[in-house]
Amino acid sequence: MKKSTMKKLLVAMLSFAMIFAMAACGGGGSDSGDAASSADGGFTIFNSKMEIQDQFEALAKQYTEETGVPVEVYYSQDTVSAHLATKYASKDPYTLNMVDAKDIYSLAKEYGVDMSDQDWVADTDYAISVDGKVLGFPSSIEARGIIYNAEGIKKITGKDFDPASITTLDGFKALLDELVKGGMEAPVAIMKEDWSLGAHYLQQVYEEREDPEAFVQSLYKGEVDLMKDEKFNSLMDTFDVLKAYNKDKASPIAAERDLSEQGLAEGTVAFMFGGNWDFAEMKKYDYIGGAGMMPVPQNLQDDYTGKLVGGGSKFFYIDGSENTSAEKQQMAKDFLNWLVTSDAGKTFISDTCGMVSPFKSNDVACSDDLGKAVKTFADAGNLVPNYDYDPDDHYSVLGAEMQKYLADQCTREELATAIQNYWKSVTPVEH
Amino acid sequence: MERNTFSYKLRQILMFAGPGTILFFCVVIVPFIYGLYLTFTSWDGVSANKPFVGFANYAAAFSDSAYWIALGRTAIYSIFAVVFINILAFALAYLVTSGVKGQNFFRAGFFVPNLIGGIVLGYVWKFVFNRAYVAIASAITGAPATSPLATTGGAMFCLIFVSVWQYAGYMMLIYVAGFMSVSDSLKEAAMIDGCTPSQAMRNVTIPLMRSSFVQCIFLSITRCFVVYDVNLSLTKGEPFNTSVMAAMHVYNTAFTYKNYGMGQAEALILFIVCAIVGVTQVMIGKKGEVEA
Repeated sequence: MKKSTMKKLLVAMLSFAMIFAMAACGGGGSDSGDAASSADGGFTIFNSKMEIQDQFEALAKQYTEETGVPVEVYYSQDTVSAHLATKYASKDPYTLNMVDAKDIYSLAKEYGVDMSDQDWVADTDYAISVDGKVLGFPSSIEARGIIYNAEGIKKITGKDFDPASITTLDGFKALLDELVKGGMEAPVAIMKEDWSLGAHYLQQVYEEREDPEAFVQSLYKGEVDLMKDEKFNSLMDTFDVLKAYNKDKASPIAAERDLSEQGLAEGTVAFMFGGNWDFAEMKKYDYIGGAGMMPVPQNLQDDYTGKLVGGGSKFFYIDGSENTSAEKQQMAKDFLNWLVTSDAGKTFISDTCGMVSPFKSNDVACSDDLGKAVKTFADAGNLVPNYDYDPDDHYSVLGAEMQKYLADQCTREELATAIQNYWKSVTPVEH
Repeated sequence: MERNTFSYKLRQILMFAGPGTILFFCVVIVPFIYGLYLTFTSWDGVSANKPFVGFANYAAAFSDSAYWIALGRTAIYSIFAVVFINILAFALAYLVTSGVKGQNFFRAGFFVPNLIGGIVLGYVWKFVFNRAYVAIASAITGAPATSPLATTGGAMFCLIFVSVWQYAGYMMLIYVAGFMSVSDSLKEAAMIDGCTPSQAMRNVTIPLMRSSFVQCIFLSITRCFVVYDVNLSLTKGEPFNTSVMAAMHVYNTAFTYKNYGMGQAEALILFIVCAIVGVTQVMIGKKGEVEA
């Protein structure tokens, strides 16, 4: 072979290699869905619930078959708001966006389409309105409380467990003692994650009162003495009991969520503070059945006794920026209506995904055990509403303080002072 | 062809340096300037409008005690990590150039940790500290052991340990190159003149390897100062946010707490600190460089 031919061959091979490498790089980044505009003639959906992505794609396919409207469903592992920010920055937002309640007040307030005239609005109590406009379509109901495993409890006590029999902390403690005596050495698991301790457990201190907004405002002003607050002390008394029976008591900060969920699923752990979303984790293990949810037992008896804390969760808003045509917005509206009214939509929410439907007209039974429990509380009007206006770093800063309390690194007084000081130091969230 | 004209030279420069310069400009300079602009706005990272606020973000960054604590923590972490990375890397390099059996195998083996991404590495070590260590320690002492990741000092120790493990092999390669660049004849001459092996090492080999030290220390300092991946997957800032490094604090401020402008300002401060430390170290190191 002549030398020049060799050279040409080499150059050709090198360029192929480079093109290939570039193509490979490009392929790696496509999970974020840079083809959002590729649903020609149709619209795009951003899904932020990873566990239902496959089901959602199947639903989109079904919708296209039924109506002829092409739909594409995307998911991203990024923080929701950060991911959507990049989509807006590149002027290529999704038509329909699934976000958390907080994001409705920021993102949808700026970009969302007013859905007040939609038929489904009258069918739910959980839609989010901002400045008189309905901007957030609730996809499900989620609630927090104590998750229990009745089968696990029955194995030890020999009796059927009736969650309604536990109304006070003293009653709860008596049952825990019985479980310990029966051989379940540590019947409780506590998640050490800051969002669980800060945004879910501590949050109840603000939520379980008549006017959470007024309470938070007085926290901002530094007028609250938590050590004298009945609700704070009542919830912390319960937290102390949970701590005392914690399976990770020796090293609570090293607790791993999946091991706790596994224990709960397999009945070696009887109780854990959490929410109905935990069922998605629990069912990955050898679930023995019997899971349910009950309110956090407290000795303080008030209007919130016997209620879970929760409400709508994972809201859809329709993008109303100039990047999304009126035609696409209408398609998204039609899809939401279809999701509420069609059998396929109802089945998707309640059965396929095991979520608790926030719509009264949805009579398909929820397929998930914790969801069923939440549905019972919701139908009976026994949900204390969420308070959604915490500062963004609340869960992290006060979650860390709660972790200290969990690990016995601070006293209740110190925790109370830290909470009060935090609220005094932050700028009030406008809403 | 005339090779001394301006246009010829320009074409040559454009041809060879042009593509690189354009790329560098697009992916480093432009974002940097845009980022600089964002530090003067109170953008939340999502909204379409970016209100101009002047130096308010810098004022906020300077009074953000959590940031300065994180930066101080990063400095402490970097000092320990840099010292141990380089001591270990040098020792390993000495070992694998001294003619032990299978030294190529060892070179490859020590380098492998560097091929594993920081995120994966973090999860692997998390498992080791949280489960393996606890199980073994409990079995030995008979009492329930605490995972080092659950204690304040322990989490820092784990971060330093894992970083040393990760980078030592990489720095080792640079030291190996340094060792090989010192010709045997110089060492031999020193020995003939009456040096003991350790004297030859101290007075001949190490001074001639000075550039390797400068490079390794520079690389390890800059990498440690901006550590994020191992921090995220190994400790996630826990326990009680006491292992949050500067980069993680910047990310949280910008994206989680939606203070993009302030996060960007803090990132700029981190960049300046990192640049000052790195450049000073290189200048001091270069000063005393010798050639054979």
